[in-house]
Amino acid sequence: MKKILALVMACLLMCLTFAGCGSNASDMEYVKEKGTLVVGITDFEPMDYKKSKDSTEWIGFDADMAKLFAERLGVKVEFVEIDWDNKALELDGKSIDCVWNGMTLREDVLAAMDCSQAYCNNAQVVVVPAEDADKYKTAEDCKDLQFAVEAGSAGEDMAEANGFKFTPVKDQATTLTEVKAGTCDAAIIDSLMAGAMVGEGTGYADLTYTVGLNSEEYGVGFRKGSDLVAEINAFFDECLENGKMMEIASQYGVQAAIITK
Amino acid sequence: MSLLEVKNIRKSFGKTEVLKGIDFSMEKGDVVAIIGSSGSGKTTLLRCLNFLETPDVGTISLNGKAIFDAESHTKTSDEEIRQNRLHFGLVFQSFNLFPQYNVKRNLTLAAELLETEKIKKGTSQYKSKKEAVEAISKNADVLLSEVGLSEKALAYPCELSGGQQQRVAIARALALEPDVLCFDEPTSALDPELTGEVLKVIRELKNAGKTMIVVTHEMEFAKNVSDTIIYMADGVIEEAGAPEELFENPKSDKLKAFLKSSFEKI
Amino acid sequence: MTFAEQFPIVFEALNIGFLQTLKLFAVTLLGAIPLGLIISFGSMSRFKPLSGVVKTFVWIIRGTPLMLQLLIIYYLPGIAFGNPIWGSGEAGRFVASAVAFIINYACYFSEIYRGGIQGVPVGQQEAGQVLGMSKKQIFFKVTLLQMVKRIVPPMSNEIITLVKDTSLARIIALQEVIWAGQAFLKGSQGIAGQLWPLFFTGVYYLAFSGILTVLFNKVEKKLSYFKI
Repeated sequence: MKKILALVMACLLMCLTFAGCGSNASDMEYVKEKGTLVVGITDFEPMDYKKSKDSTEWIGFDADMAKLFAERLGVKVEFVEIDWDNKALELDGKSIDCVWNGMTLREDVLAAMDCSQAYCNNAQVVVVPAEDADKYKTAEDCKDLQFAVEAGSAGEDMAEANGFKFTPVKDQATTLTEVKAGTCDAAIIDSLMAGAMVGEGTGYADLTYTVGLNSEEYGVGFRKGSDLVAEINAFFDECLENGKMMEIASQYGVQAAIITK
Repeated sequence: MSLLEVKNIRKSFGKTEVLKGIDFSMEKGDVVAIIGSSGSGKTTLLRCLNFLETPDVGTISLNGKAIFDAESHTKTSDEEIRQNRLHFGLVFQSFNLFPQYNVKRNLTLAAELLETEKIKKGTSQYKSKKEAVEAISKNADVLLSEVGLSEKALAYPCELSGGQQQRVAIARALALEPDVLCFDEPTSALDPELTGEVLKVIRELKNAGKTMIVVTHEMEFAKNVSDTIIYMADGVIEEAGAPEELFENPKSDKLKAFLKSSFEKI
Repeated sequence: MTFAEQFPIVFEALNIGFLQTLKLFAVTLLGAIPLGLIISFGSMSRFKPLSGVVKTFVWIIRGTPLMLQLLIIYYLPGIAFGNPIWGSGEAGRFVASAVAFIINYACYFSEIYRGGIQGVPVGQQEAGQVLGMSKKQIFFKVTLLQMVKRIVPPMSNEIITLVKDTSLARIIALQEVIWAGQAFLKGSQGIAGQLWPLFFTGVYYLAFSGILTVLFNKVEKKLSYFKI
């Protein structure tokens, strides 16, 4: 029994030791060889989403840019919905080749993967019931509120930095549900997301966003040591120059947030 | 030549020697009763005869032909053991009827399986499976009427009393026409008022000339039904002989004490 | 969008999700029921090294969360060996989920089988032996049905648990019915911030486990003609 246990442990250790040192070829060669760039996404309007229930095609600012990037590499593009918590696992496990989904360049993200240059600005905003919007104009006004934030998100960092009371929940959508259900007073989410999900004509018509807490930036994540990072930076520069990026951004209403250097 | 001849059977479980050299023989039509206190090895002896236990030493011969020899046993195939087993029938203390089959199916199942195999090998007395099934079914009907349970043919074991179940078990053992029918304390698991019907069936079998070995605690019954009584104590045959002789003039002290306590209980 | 407008959209999405749930459920049963039998024979083997290995394996699988097993099975091949054997798409995630579920449930089933097999009195086997039946005949004609009768109640418990456990596969992004329901929280197909689709998935689970309960009751009733 003990020997078997030792053997199992040894196997597990070996697996962990070899983690990450499997590939010899460069990441770009690997992607080109299999002929597909697999992009890890979540359903996130306006970055990656489907036009209607019948369409199978992913669109959005990030999705359209990813298609162009794949074209430049000469490979097909495949979008795969992932569990956002597992994005680094998905990259390391090679079930995806990049994370391109309005990903905030936070410290933990930068530690877990190699990222492109920032291509888009974003802010964390406070979401409150529309009727209370006037009461909360500055971060100071919000001191006594109970916040809902996405666990491990930029929003959580902001809540901590401002000394707010907060409850971490599963994802950004859940924070809005908490506010709507009255279990929390306010939520902190991405401004891009807030723009798409909160206010008139959305499922959260009775919520609105007020205070902007900071400015942050979006990037695309690759496996550690990937040579695709240099490639995508060159691609972004090119698209900025020839106006392609702005053209696509304005299709999805995010042109104001694009980083033009 | 004796029908059954058992020579120097020894059997140990771990360090405990349960049978310490058993020798006996019996003729066709004999009824042998084995008595003795619990732990004396009588059940183990019966299980050895039915190949449920493998003796460490000794031989068992039937009609002069060795069907078990401890020295060559490891070379005996499972198939041969199955064949040899069929010379013996065993009625268990706890009946062990198959609960999911009705009474008649309990009687016919093993016989049908056996004949089906024989038909495949071409050694059956029947030409077709259908013919075999019909014959087996008829035989089962006869056996059920012999044990007085014809009207229970379609009942399930759980619907029968203990006495009825044991009578079915006897009929089931008879269905394969064994040379020697063994009973392992057939009435011990029964309420006292139900033992009579089972003992009556065994008595009728004796009258029909069946060769039987009965391990029993029923002294009166052993005395009345058997031709020979074997008294076992501590893994050996302490004393054996005709019932009157044994009960009236016990020679060994152990048997005297055993008989005294047995009859005191009653 | 009014509820009446949302409902058909949500209903269709949940149906698609529940189809995945059902597929995972069915494939798990198909694989785990026979594999469990093999594992139970292994753990009952008189060959000590084999039964030791099998028992250790069952201990590891039953002693760790299924969610963790899903993560390891799906991600470890790519992370440890640079070889993502399952592929990225939903089909690969389904296969990985099925493998994890089959292994996990086979281990639970094997313990139930073991109880069922060992619960059949030795006397039944001996009765078959003295009637000249072969080991195979004894297993199939005598022991099996008694074993089945013994294991139906614990198996029905375990299988109804499986219906609900399928939702764990969402951890490796298998888009089953809970995933489909949650999508409308975050926003999908123009519906965002709606909690009711997630709650509504409960109706699917309830209905399906209701059907299973009725089925198992029928089986139990069918086997009630004899007692063991």
